[in-house]
Amino acid sequence: MVSGRSGRTVGARRAGRWLGRAGLAVAYAAVALFFVVPLWWALAGSLTPLDRVFAHLAPFDLRALWPAHPTLEAYRQLFGRHAFARVLLNTAFVALATVATGLVVNGLAGFAFAVLRFRGKRVLFVIALVSAMVPAEALAIPLFQLVGQLGLLDSYAALIAPAVSNGMAVFLFRQFFAEIPVEISEAARIDGASWLTILLRLYVPLSLPVTIAAGLLLFVFQWESFLWPLIAVHSQRYTVIQIALSNLQQQHSTQWTQIFAASTLASLVPLLLLLPLQRFYVQGIVSSGVKG
Amino acid sequence: MAASPPERRHRQQLRPGSRPGLLRGDERAAYLLLLPAFLGLALFRVYPILAAAAGSLYRQIFSATGPSTVFVGLGNFAVLLHDPVFWHALWVTLKLNVILNPMQVVLALLLALMVDGRSRAMGAYRVLLLVPIGVSLPVATILWRLMLDPNSGFVNALLGFVGLPHQPFYTSSGQALWSIMLIANWKGLSYWMVFVLAGLQSIPGELLEAAAIDGASGLQRLFRVTLPLLRRPLTFVLVADTVINFVMFVPMYLLTRGGPSGSTNVLMYQAYKVGFAFGDMGGALAIVTVLLAIILAVVAVQFRLLEAGRQAW
Repeated sequence: MVSGRSGRTVGARRAGRWLGRAGLAVAYAAVALFFVVPLWWALAGSLTPLDRVFAHLAPFDLRALWPAHPTLEAYRQLFGRHAFARVLLNTAFVALATVATGLVVNGLAGFAFAVLRFRGKRVLFVIALVSAMVPAEALAIPLFQLVGQLGLLDSYAALIAPAVSNGMAVFLFRQFFAEIPVEISEAARIDGASWLTILLRLYVPLSLPVTIAAGLLLFVFQWESFLWPLIAVHSQRYTVIQIALSNLQQQHSTQWTQIFAASTLASLVPLLLLLPLQRFYVQGIVSSGVKG
Repeated sequence: MAASPPERRHRQQLRPGSRPGLLRGDERAAYLLLLPAFLGLALFRVYPILAAAAGSLYRQIFSATGPSTVFVGLGNFAVLLHDPVFWHALWVTLKLNVILNPMQVVLALLLALMVDGRSRAMGAYRVLLLVPIGVSLPVATILWRLMLDPNSGFVNALLGFVGLPHQPFYTSSGQALWSIMLIANWKGLSYWMVFVLAGLQSIPGELLEAAAIDGASGLQRLFRVTLPLLRRPLTFVLVADTVINFVMFVPMYLLTRGGPSGSTNVLMYQAYKVGFAFGDMGGALAIVTVLLAIILAVVAVQFRLLEAGRQAW
């Protein structure tokens, strides 16, 4: 009686464990599919002839996710009719110019916060932190008026200048530089080195991880920016990728394959940067939220 | 991170203040190094906040002599008070945030618990979840617009495949806000998960082992050990998420235009419409001022919470 009951319990427990494991596997697969399928579908759809895209969905057919006869027609149209080469170059230029200037400007400030003593340090640091917490969208409309008064609307400067100073990047540099023992620079200082020399000789050579993290932050911010370029720029020659995609979707809403192709291109660049460098990016965003 | 006492004393001996001349020069160097960044922050971050508040007190008048700006005091806010569209937009904004923000914190926590592990397979699986971080919100919105297309979308095709009726999704006032929350989750959850996961991985394993040896069940360990130690990252995620979601704009602009029948007309989209479609910048800035006040209050509360948490440790 006792052994019988315990035998049943062991059997039931084993079955339960098996069911639990199967359920867990299904949950893991479902979560992965949820996050991956939309972009995968866009990639597959961008390589499929337009009529096939709709045919594979009514009724549903797995060829929607694996094109039988891939074609680059959608990309040809994007680069031909919609001048996407220009759009990609514009976006890359805006993003890279922001990264280059932003790394210098925010790196200098981060260094000052980490190493130097000066009056008003706490207040200035809080200003940098709060400015990092206020989302760009909330400032877009007053910024539009300011940039208009400066006479900069509809130019590369309108796209680049407001994004260069970045409180989060300042914070990343400060956190990183603060880990380096300050005694080294004080010794160098007593030996007569200037702060600029100390920064360039001692700190910059060590700062590759934070440079990558802050660079990715600035790059992704500009590459994904939407509301600001929507209102600050209207000439076609300054169009950036997110706006081009939005225009495409509004003017050619039935051209799904071209929309897929443009979405794929718009995602490919940040993904090709983020996936190999994810360690730095993750460390960067984590230090902003957890160590705080 | 804090310097140990002997180290701190050592630093104090080296304080530039004890060597006259060094302090003044160093202070000047500090301000010079800060100048470029703070010029940008002052001009493009701080000034717009003040300019929004100041500009909300003016109204553009279009007359025969051309456009002019007149001071109206709190007139623009008085207009808002009597505008049912504003009140509805405020209601939709609050509804979105009250549902979405806690949902994202809980789901980000669940995801982090799912992928917390040091095995290679788990590392590869985590990379899959990171894909949406590289996809911009406009791209995410446009892709989900096609995924959720009421006639020929992917999701309805799947629903049809398993014999369920097609859904109207963003084309119905009952489902539009939920469709936007789905998009926000797809785009945002893995980003928020990263913070929670870092918090999880900084919890010493011995702590959980000790609790297990003391006979605590899995759920007890989660609620008694893990969650209290995750207070900081979870607070940060809730606040940062709230601040961003309060000014959510892209899905409303690209997917629903605030509709159907105002069901997704949030304050940020309303401000954009008032400013750029109706040409009423004063009115738009009044709405932006309300949003900025909410955001700054949330940020202030966060500083309080995290500061208090630090002292408690």
